[in-house]
Amino acid sequence: MTDTTPATPLDPLAPLGKIKEFNPTRQRIKKWLVFAVIGFALFYTLFPVYWLFLNSFKTRLDMFATPAIWLLDAPTLYNYVQTFVERPFLRFMFNSLVVAVGTTILALVFGTMAGFALARFDYPGRAKYHVSFWILSTRMMPPIVTIIPLFLFFAFVNLLNTKTALVIAYTGFNLPFVIWMMKGYFQELPRELEESAMVDGDTRLGAFIRVLIPLARPGLAATAIFTLILSWNEFLFALIITETQTSNTLPIGIAGRITQYKTEWGEISAAGFASCIPIIIFAFIVQKHLVRGLSFGAVKG
Amino acid sequence: MDDSASTATVGDTPAPSFIGERLERWVETHLRYIMLAPAVLILAALTLFPTFYMFTLSFQKFNPAVDVPNEWVGLGNFARLLTDEKFHNALGNTLFFTGAAVGIEFVLGLSFALLVDKYIRRLNFIKTILMLPMMLPPVAVAITWKLIYQPQFGVLNDFLFRLGLPTGVWTSGADSAMWAIIFVDIWEWTPFIFLMMLAGIASLPEEPYEAADLDGASAWQKFRDLTWPFLRPVVTIALLLRLMDALRLFDQVFILTRGGPASVTETLSLYIFRVALRFQDIGYAAAMSLFVLFSTIVLSTWFIRRMQMDDSKA
Amino acid sequence: MKRLLSLVGTLVLSAGLAGTALADLTVAVPNGSEGDGLRAAAVDYSKLKGVKIEIVQAPYSNLFERAATAASTRSGVFDIVLMDDPWIPFFAENGFLVELGPFFKGIGTDGPDNDFLSKSVALCRNPYNTGPYICLPYVGNAQLFFYDPEQYASVGFPDGPRTWDDVLTASTELTGDGSSRKYGYTMRAAEGNPVVADFMPIFWSFGATLFDADRKVSLQTPEALQAVKMFLALAKVAPPGVESFGADEVGTAIAQGSAYSAINWPNWVATFEDPAQSRVVGKIANVKMPDGTSAGSSEIGHWTMGISIDSKNKQEAFDFMVWATSAEQVKISALRGNPPVRFSVFTDTELTSQEQYRHYPTLMQAINFSTPRPRHPQWPEIENAFGRELSAAVAGRISAEEALDRSQKAIEAIIAR
Repeated sequence: MTDTTPATPLDPLAPLGKIKEFNPTRQRIKKWLVFAVIGFALFYTLFPVYWLFLNSFKTRLDMFATPAIWLLDAPTLYNYVQTFVERPFLRFMFNSLVVAVGTTILALVFGTMAGFALARFDYPGRAKYHVSFWILSTRMMPPIVTIIPLFLFFAFVNLLNTKTALVIAYTGFNLPFVIWMMKGYFQELPRELEESAMVDGDTRLGAFIRVLIPLARPGLAATAIFTLILSWNEFLFALIITETQTSNTLPIGIAGRITQYKTEWGEISAAGFASCIPIIIFAFIVQKHLVRGLSFGAVKG
Repeated sequence: MDDSASTATVGDTPAPSFIGERLERWVETHLRYIMLAPAVLILAALTLFPTFYMFTLSFQKFNPAVDVPNEWVGLGNFARLLTDEKFHNALGNTLFFTGAAVGIEFVLGLSFALLVDKYIRRLNFIKTILMLPMMLPPVAVAITWKLIYQPQFGVLNDFLFRLGLPTGVWTSGADSAMWAIIFVDIWEWTPFIFLMMLAGIASLPEEPYEAADLDGASAWQKFRDLTWPFLRPVVTIALLLRLMDALRLFDQVFILTRGGPASVTETLSLYIFRVALRFQDIGYAAAMSLFVLFSTIVLSTWFIRRMQMDDSKA
Repeated sequence: MKRLLSLVGTLVLSAGLAGTALADLTVAVPNGSEGDGLRAAAVDYSKLKGVKIEIVQAPYSNLFERAATAASTRSGVFDIVLMDDPWIPFFAENGFLVELGPFFKGIGTDGPDNDFLSKSVALCRNPYNTGPYICLPYVGNAQLFFYDPEQYASVGFPDGPRTWDDVLTASTELTGDGSSRKYGYTMRAAEGNPVVADFMPIFWSFGATLFDADRKVSLQTPEALQAVKMFLALAKVAPPGVESFGADEVGTAIAQGSAYSAINWPNWVATFEDPAQSRVVGKIANVKMPDGTSAGSSEIGHWTMGISIDSKNKQEAFDFMVWATSAEQVKISALRGNPPVRFSVFTDTELTSQEQYRHYPTLMQAINFSTPRPRHPQWPEIENAFGRELSAAVAGRISAEEALDRSQKAIEAIIAR
């Protein structure tokens, strides 16, 4: 928090406000106001996560106690043992990991290629606009009904109950997002970058791989994390395509703890909390790219 | 990112073989198609057959029974859309949800980003923390909120009770259930809008603002004439993605309310899910899906045009 | 095109990414104790007979969708489906289930032996109780009425409630103005399956039926109206927020001692008697349904096994089903937490002498006095339509009369389609 109190007065509304006369009291009030807002937003964001965390260490009795128990009173590992030892949640987690990583790699490779093509090349007529829009429109299809034909499709190619089927499908779901993000990103990069590489004797493909990709790293990191999250958490499609432990993903395992008679709240909390740890780790690894990468023009800095 | 790519011709490397050179030239001349092909093929494989299947089914009365062919009903399924009160209810609920949730998320996300830009930019870990709601599996998220909202044992009512404030029934009330769900969505997705906006603001150029300051422009004028036009591409993408996701809301309602009470939270996704898979009335579900697909495309086209994201600008 | 697709499929398969182990039988079961029980039984069976059985578990609320999709697309993915009994008409009348008669002939009988409870076997014939056998009962559930005798005694019902009027009178007294945050009665009123499951026993105990003798919808009757009015009156003395409650909320309220009576499934007995999950150990009694204007009847909810018409191993599937529903196996299943379907297991003193099986006599009585949900292939849709109106009535949006009128019209429209 030290770097938020620099020597020079900070104006949080810099792009908006114009400070004609410098007023230290007003500045201080404004600053505390901003911190209060950030504090409230963080509390609102984190409280449900804290509650999930807390519940994962509570017995059923404590979870529904009146008055509610707000602190880690008598923590129990029961829920974690039930999910990760008694039930094959480690297996589900492994499946999710394979599927999410596979999807992220495929979607990023193909999406970046297509994004580059749409950003740089010309196509006959209005083909470019139509293709771009068609790509986006594939995300607008209501997923419910496509599930049935896709079920038939994967049964036909003998891929039901495989992680491969999930990777293919999720790659498709994620491509529009990746393509549109990377297309925007490449459009912001000056053409001279590749052109100078090509003058030096490189091919267009070579220039793309050696010059543009490294520059696009922040964009790739930010796009990757959203692809990862989406394929890590997808539920509806996995429900229909996967059958057994060879391909069941975590969200399916978690939903399975809501039975006809009873909901295993503690086990769901434990699995849910454990489930976000791998993504948090990845997010921390790429965090310095995160916000920069989400922006198209940020690379110039 | 590996510099030893096989296509390298830089400097004094030995001349590539005849075939290699021809292949390379072929790749180079067709690069625009080669780069686009994998993505287009995957998307086509995954969407053309389902769209065709859906289109055909939408003119049929699907009969699940063994050895009984489907009956062609022409536009019958589409005619049903006009008189189906449940469909109208679900459509209304979905639009209300989308408008309210995405609207509030956008206003909150953008104003927070404008407000705290300078402070947060240096605190990377806060950005990661803000992504936590998105990272949790939706089923676990819904379960957690269900526990928070629970009228007798939930922590929200416990908190209000301790403070001596009136308690509520949240997801159980016909008047409050939709707002309870909107609140969860705001919690989950405002950080996404916020981060996108923060990124957009971070890349604003400084010179125009300096010039505007010299001209004595007001804060609102600067926002309207500088910030907003610069942010527009980011805003478009962020809103489009959120709109498309909000229109297909499923997990939260499925677990929090099952569409009730009194059907006030039944969304299109939930209704189509039931009609297609639970009632096995797949023809009618296909007609509804086509309607949703068509309306979303129209809506997005209009939106993109409005935001001038047409290629003419790029 | 087909060859190309198969080629791609084979390539990916051989790349080792894929790999569904080839099983002799694939069985679709729900998550929860029924599925866990059958999974354990399948392991035993594989060891015993060398038949490889793959168990596919799906969340309860999605099992029907999965099994129905697999059946209506004729994919032949599942050999056996463990079905909740209200699904039987859908699978049977669309021709997805194999008639078991010839297979019974093969082992020298006409049908299931008479150690099975008659109500359990009746479910497995379509039409109900008269048609050919299309499944075998595996788990025997029927709803029970749970209440706290101490609390009921304190308001003048030392012998517990006999009728729904008793329940209402006692609960009104116990709930009071609600300031104590303890409630006499609680209920499932979430839209869809929960509200209908909670309402049906009351509906039947007032002599109402969904279909009359001519299979016409018969909701606009004085009996039905009386039942809905009783249901709404009970909702008034139940905790605020029942409009989104399912079986879990109701069971939790009883287990935490914040509500004193409710209808629920017998699986909750184990929870009520477990000190780690309950504040009311030894305090909750279970009985068959209270009476209305006619005798009380609980809702039956069995898990039954049927063979898919597209199965390639029908004989193996039948052999497994017969083995799994044998007296010996049903007892093992009971030890795994699933109520039995056989008289000999219900009355097995080795079980009934233990605390967690003490409800078996009551449960068997409840099954014998139970009513199945109306048998119709479109029951999922009918239940949804009925549940929609009941939910609106509990939420106070429409009156009891309106709820019945609108349900009548909606269900008529579904059946006419």
